[in-house]
Amino acid sequence: MTTNPRGLPLDGDNAHRLPLEGVRVAAVTVVWAGPHVTQLLAEWGAEVIRVEPMNRVQPYSRLSLQRQSPEVQLLSAKAGVTFSLTPDLDPGLDPWNRGSAFNAHARNKRSMTCDITSPEGHEAFLRLIAECDVLVENNVPETIERAHITYEELRAVNPNLIMLRMPAFGLDGPYKNFRGFGTHVEGMIGHHHLRSYEDLGPEYTGDAFTADAIAGILGAFAVTAALRHRDRTGQGQQIEMPLAEAFLPVLGEWILDYTYNGRVAPAQGNRHATHAPHGIYPSSGDDQWIAIDVFNDEEFTALNAVLKTTLHEDERFATNAARLEHRRALDVAIAEHTAPWDKFELFHALQAQGVIAGPVMDELDALASAQLEARGWFEEVTQPGVGTHRHPGILFRMAGTPNYIRRPPPNLGQDNEDIYLNLLGYTREEYEALIAKGLVGTTYSDELLRTAP
Amino acid sequence: MLSCCRWHIRDGNRRNPPASPCCEELPLASLLDGIRVLDLSDWVAGSYCARVLADYGATVTRIEEIDGGRLRREGPFVGDDVHLEKSLLFLHLNANKRGVTLDLESAGGQDLVRRLAAQSDIVIDDRGPDALDQLGIGWDALSAGRDDLVMASITPFGLTGPWRNYRASELTLQAMGGPLHINGTPDREPVKSGGYVAHVHAGIGAAFSVMIARLRVEAGGAGDRVDLAIYETQSGFRDRRTPSLMGAAYAGYPAKRQGGGSIIARGVRPAADGYVNILGHSPRYFGKFLTLIERPDLNDRAESKLPPPQMPQDFIDEVEASYLTWLLQRTKQQVVMETQAIGALGGAVYDTGDLLTDPHYRSRGVWDTIDHPVAGPAEHAGRQLILSETPRAPVHHAPLLGQHNRTVLVDELGLDPADFEALQGSGVIGASTEVPA
Repeated sequence: MTTNPRGLPLDGDNAHRLPLEGVRVAAVTVVWAGPHVTQLLAEWGAEVIRVEPMNRVQPYSRLSLQRQSPEVQLLSAKAGVTFSLTPDLDPGLDPWNRGSAFNAHARNKRSMTCDITSPEGHEAFLRLIAECDVLVENNVPETIERAHITYEELRAVNPNLIMLRMPAFGLDGPYKNFRGFGTHVEGMIGHHHLRSYEDLGPEYTGDAFTADAIAGILGAFAVTAALRHRDRTGQGQQIEMPLAEAFLPVLGEWILDYTYNGRVAPAQGNRHATHAPHGIYPSSGDDQWIAIDVFNDEEFTALNAVLKTTLHEDERFATNAARLEHRRALDVAIAEHTAPWDKFELFHALQAQGVIAGPVMDELDALASAQLEARGWFEEVTQPGVGTHRHPGILFRMAGTPNYIRRPPPNLGQDNEDIYLNLLGYTREEYEALIAKGLVGTTYSDELLRTAP
Repeated sequence: MLSCCRWHIRDGNRRNPPASPCCEELPLASLLDGIRVLDLSDWVAGSYCARVLADYGATVTRIEEIDGGRLRREGPFVGDDVHLEKSLLFLHLNANKRGVTLDLESAGGQDLVRRLAAQSDIVIDDRGPDALDQLGIGWDALSAGRDDLVMASITPFGLTGPWRNYRASELTLQAMGGPLHINGTPDREPVKSGGYVAHVHAGIGAAFSVMIARLRVEAGGAGDRVDLAIYETQSGFRDRRTPSLMGAAYAGYPAKRQGGGSIIARGVRPAADGYVNILGHSPRYFGKFLTLIERPDLNDRAESKLPPPQMPQDFIDEVEASYLTWLLQRTKQQVVMETQAIGALGGAVYDTGDLLTDPHYRSRGVWDTIDHPVAGPAEHAGRQLILSETPRAPVHHAPLLGQHNRTVLVDELGLDPADFEALQGSGVIGASTEVPA
């Protein structure tokens, strides 16, 4: 029988087993990027154990905006701030299990409560590390180092450990302990500037968390590649992946434009260096838009045919070079003709003529998308006490390996008993003592709920 | 293939693994040592996928049309010289790869692709749902007779579904799948994210997908075909999209553009020499913040202790006026240093000039200097991962057009030199480019 390095059979039907089955991952992650790494690993079979304090509040994790009353949530929802809503805007008695920001990434994961900064919690954490293949953390370096969670120290209990560290700017250098969310990191690497409107300052762009998205998926790749090396050699390692540096390849050609050509890239907005029209144009309804991208005369003629215009006969727009030169006038002219259209009708009409176009789709459009529906992308998940809802699907599929969301997001501490007693070898008595001390449990204390920001 | 060490992991006690001298003798220099990748892509997502694999040790062979394909024609260019060896996008996406030029429309070229694929572990494609099948070099042809091939098919909308044949670009994929609708200010049209971020993200996703499949193959399991739709990687984009989708599924509301600076001392503000983005208000440090901006007196006002939505406008205006005065007396770098010192979250709004001259990145050795025979030397975006045991090898420049035709087709694939030259003569294989001394 063939087995994988973690002892699972891979014969017959099992030859298409989820590739990361048998990999156990401990997650000490906050905010957005770290939890995304472990989401991706869990989706493809890894057992991910979230290590969560119940005596402290972690930024943008279980205990944040979703504690707000239905009235306050309604104000946020109407204003379009929807990261942290609870089902039907009802925070319920356990809002920490009900928030959208947390539940969007937590499916397939397990949860244990453990305060790694306490002596008891540190001991439990070391026992966990001895049983894990991978640790993922994305805390401020000095914070986690103060808790004695470093590769050197963890190696003593697990010499083969793979540890992914995801600081904002690095484990050394002048900005080592700089604090920031993804949006601040993006400022410090040039993305905020680049994605600003051509004709407005960066104040008008708003925050984005693109660096978290890139670091999340790259971290999952890095862990997998390191597992491959460990399978071959037995050797674990530390992977340092700062959010800032993980994002730099997105800026590759702009960086080279500076180093080769000495040119500082101006804000790009929706413009393209060689395509015109290339932009976001209005369509019928409030705040409805369609993206159109044309890069040759044939496509421009087809666009005019669909929009029933004769712009291609105007000498300012007759050639690609002319269109680029008169880009702003062209955008105004196109906008006039797209405005009466329904964005989906125009999308299908343009695609039928081979013109690259796509409706700007908000989340309600996505939930109604014919393409996502046909491919079964959203999945219905039932979470005890929270209800049945559609969840965002898995990023890609493998033809021979059907894959689904296997477990709902875990309630806080849901797997405590199994993990402490069966995996970590605590006696019932020791386990009860941790509960009595307020270090293990399934709710936050009234005191914490009252005082937390 | 199997080293004895894998058994040590399986059988050994993780706390005290047995000594394994065989492990120490294995000459493994990089994470993906020994993995052979055939890069059949011609645009950003597939090309970047293969670049990541190359950076961490895979041997990547890129197949290009004899005329170089469209990536070599996309700007910006070195010195604005539209030249097949000077596309900055191409140079960035293809460093560390070998390059082979073939006429993919010809039976001879297609045969060579099949033979190269037979010697590869992983194939990367981003040419569209049917393009390679129509050339007889798609999944069915390349995986025939073997069950260990891993192939990523990266497409705009996926291999199935009503929109599978629709065309798309970076702009439209961000618009349809991603958070584009909440980028920008409510008073204006939404604005796209920078560069080819949707394509690069999809490329990294594809690299993750082929690596998990390869992990299974190396453990004795089966290969697989990855169906990666950029529309879906955008739909699953961690940048606000999945939390907002979850919020919409929970409560029925879409996210909207917020603009910047709508909350007290939060968002982008001008400094003396540019812009900064500081999170000035947090209950943890707002008192220190007021002291920092030289208004410690405001700490005595009861309004300073209120949650921001309940602060009266005249108080907010007073804080903002003092903050702005303070900001305009400092460079953006000074603002960042002083606000970080009180524990505030934030950063400056850099352009590429700021980025390339910043002392932090420079001290960490982020930039790779790559010399290129035609374009010359320059600094590139460097490594993303610092690996304690398997450091990344130095980076080679992107291949010149046809640079590795002979190495790959004669030395490795075993074409007879006379056949090689005949196929070059008939235009099946492109000209061999010698690297100038």
